[in-house]
Amino acid sequence: MTSPISANIRSLTLTLALAFLVTSIGAAYWTVLASDQLANDPFNPRLIAATNDRPRGAIVDRNGSPVATSEKADAGFIRSYKDRTLAQVVGYASPKFGLSGVEAAYADSLIGQDPADPVSIWKARYLGDRAPAGQVLLGIDLKIQKAAADALGGRKGAIVALDPRTGAILASVSVPSYDANQVVDPSKQDAAFDQLSHSPDHALLNRVAQGLYPPGSIFKVVTGAAALENGFDPTKKLRVDDPYQADKSWGDYFVRSASHAHGLFDMSDGFRLSENIYFAQVGLQIGAAKLTDYAKRFGIGSTPNLDLPAAKGQLSDSGSIDRPTLLADTSYGQGELLVSPLQMALIYATIANGGVMPTAHYATEVRDADGHVVRQIAPGPQGQVISPNTAKTLTTMLVGAVSGPGAFAFGAKIPGVNVAGKTGTAENRPGEAPHGWFVGFAPAENPTVVVAVIVENTAEGGVTAAPLGGQVMRAALGK
Amino acid sequence: MIHAQAAVPLGRGRFTELSLLIWVATLAITGFVAVLATETSSFRPTAVVVPAVFLALMLSLHVFLVGIRFRGDQILLPIAAGLTAIGLVLVQRLASDLLLQQLSWSIIAAGAFAATIVVPRDLTALARFKWTWALLGLLLLIAPLLPVIGREINGARIWIKVGPGSIEPWEAVKILLVIFFAAYLEEYREVLSHAQRRIGPFPVPPVPYLVPIVAMWGIAMLVMVFEKDMGATVLFFGIFLAMLFLATGEAFYAIIGLGLLILGGIVAYQLFGHVQARVDTWLRPFDEDLRFGTGYQLVQGLYALANGGLIGVGLGNGMPDRIPIVWSDFVFDAFAEEAGLAGAIALLALYLVFLYRGMLIALRAPTMFLQLLAAGLSFIIALQTLVIVGGNLRLIPLTGITLPFVAYGGSSLVTNWMLVGILMRVSQVSERMRDGGPS
Repeated sequence: MTSPISANIRSLTLTLALAFLVTSIGAAYWTVLASDQLANDPFNPRLIAATNDRPRGAIVDRNGSPVATSEKADAGFIRSYKDRTLAQVVGYASPKFGLSGVEAAYADSLIGQDPADPVSIWKARYLGDRAPAGQVLLGIDLKIQKAAADALGGRKGAIVALDPRTGAILASVSVPSYDANQVVDPSKQDAAFDQLSHSPDHALLNRVAQGLYPPGSIFKVVTGAAALENGFDPTKKLRVDDPYQADKSWGDYFVRSASHAHGLFDMSDGFRLSENIYFAQVGLQIGAAKLTDYAKRFGIGSTPNLDLPAAKGQLSDSGSIDRPTLLADTSYGQGELLVSPLQMALIYATIANGGVMPTAHYATEVRDADGHVVRQIAPGPQGQVISPNTAKTLTTMLVGAVSGPGAFAFGAKIPGVNVAGKTGTAENRPGEAPHGWFVGFAPAENPTVVVAVIVENTAEGGVTAAPLGGQVMRAALGK
Repeated sequence: MIHAQAAVPLGRGRFTELSLLIWVATLAITGFVAVLATETSSFRPTAVVVPAVFLALMLSLHVFLVGIRFRGDQILLPIAAGLTAIGLVLVQRLASDLLLQQLSWSIIAAGAFAATIVVPRDLTALARFKWTWALLGLLLLIAPLLPVIGREINGARIWIKVGPGSIEPWEAVKILLVIFFAAYLEEYREVLSHAQRRIGPFPVPPVPYLVPIVAMWGIAMLVMVFEKDMGATVLFFGIFLAMLFLATGEAFYAIIGLGLLILGGIVAYQLFGHVQARVDTWLRPFDEDLRFGTGYQLVQGLYALANGGLIGVGLGNGMPDRIPIVWSDFVFDAFAEEAGLAGAIALLALYLVFLYRGMLIALRAPTMFLQLLAAGLSFIIALQTLVIVGGNLRLIPLTGITLPFVAYGGSSLVTNWMLVGILMRVSQVSERMRDGGPS
């Protein structure tokens, strides 16, 4: 039967059939294509529920001491966290608020479904046969962790220690911290989480990798490295007269010397006395392009590879150094630079490691329930950033910055060990006290530990931070 | 493309219907057994009684149709029965305390279906009372806004109080609307499709004939804005555009209409908080400020889909209960988690077969009124499915439309079964015409 509207009925039917096709493709996208990513989303309640009726895998330090375990409670198993100073690193596994920290990054490993063991994933998914949970081993050493936490005390800031040869993080403290046990306690979780997520101090933030600060003088190694690799003679003396400006075009803009210096400086003097005007002149001599190149090589402005969330910071607001005054300021670590303590620790680790930048990581190993190693977490180095010679020259100067005459970083000295390091007093927003930095490594000849310390808003700046770095290195070296 | 000649002939016996109902029985029984097998809570007798009662109900509908020598379509009843069975299985799985209610609604729905098959002696006569249907539809639309009987549930004021419960009058309105449009457009099709004047490529129909339709639409839009139900607005407008296109063949109407809808959407986004929240949730549900707020339901639904994979985790093995109000808004995601992509596509295929069958009935219908009626009703089921499944899959903003036959909800189930009844009646008229009998 034909009617004037038969063709219209057919067109409408065809249009709807096409819409059904699009809908089916949408279903295929979510169920299959996006499946893996969503299945491992830290907020997916299935990841946590998988361990409601059985213990979730333990998280332990490098010596096997537990930092997170599952304990039997009235309604299934509940997480128990042993070390408040590791709160932002270990994170929490909350049926309500999802996962964070290592609990999130290694969520699949902690329910016995490590990606290195696809059979266990397949069996859990399609047969409902879940393997008993394994363990995640951290690079953290609780002894060094305690030394770092004690050193910082209650002061706001962060300390990170890592092994420059492997990139394994040995200690990671971020203050203020919080008690993750409250976030997983059904009777306290709502109040606790609400308070934490609105806390003006950002207690949930892992300041080590996510805190961004102006670096100040600790950045001078980047300027130094760029200069050394571009034929700049470190023994050449430059005239320093406070205050400094390159030419009249700077108007009323000057670079100031912390010690109001007048005299001749070479690069070791520059590091030892932390002379801003010296490094401003070095930066202006080598130029913006070379400084930018080395800053980028050292990872400034890009997110470091890390198994936990990390911030990327910036070289400048615009991403480039587009005017001479900004070049001068950036050269001694001010300007518009923003870095995380971890990024700075990695820059010094590169110098400690003969110019090769390691890849930072919190976890080092995944084990199954029987204790067999399922997977080693040993990301290879990032690559050669500077030559071994440049690294050696900088190390010598950094040793001088700790133990030379009148050195600013004297507080980091350890008897019987050569310590290389640098303090920084980072100018902050006007009216706020500066941040105090220390980054260093030891022993200088054969470094096994790099430490970065930041103390927020401290009047004495780097002088406050240096002794804290010394305490952590001492703990790491067993001195 | 549908070719009426190539389609399966509508047979004299109802063996096709009976054999397809056996398939429905298999589906219902395996579904309930699978859910029971994984349930950890204590055994409830309802889990056995419900599928038994439901299957007996469907069988009696079949016997009833055979008994009155009904000669229309044999495919639609089994599809509707299969979808309703899936709905019951999912209610048992997701909200078992609502199971008896849903079963009662299916009994009422079956009664309403049987009444639709018997009561209107002459379907074509419906067209004569088109203004009555329009008025009744309007009254039902406005009813929820009235002070004493109106009710606001989950932010939408689309319910009226009836005895101890509430019903959604909108569900009945959609059928009345299709009857009205079908009758009106049959009468004025000529003037609407052969516009004498054109402005550039755009046809300009004589204004007086368009007024009642536009007025109907305008009133409906206003009512929907006040009742805060985006889903119903979209459906209402969709029916309007589809019927206009069916009658006139002017794609121009549909394009302008879609433009108007998007424009209206943008204006509503600026003006109404509830529209803004819906759209924001659709665009960025995973954002930190939304994933524990308005985006929570959608995100949980997407997690459920992701857990489904190709073949699903099996009925009762997933965690679709983490999705708030899953039994009414998110049954599709729940089903896809446990039946996988395979199950999801099979479910969509059932709706597609329903659509094709309905459109085939429309093509074969003897009068234009019946053609428009059947096509419009089939369109409702398809559009409702596309809009709610699209919302569940984050293809479009989520709206509170029910998945036909499957989602929990009485008003929707009853009207959809009546819709099946009307479609089957139209198919019967064509059969009688073919045999040369009285229509």
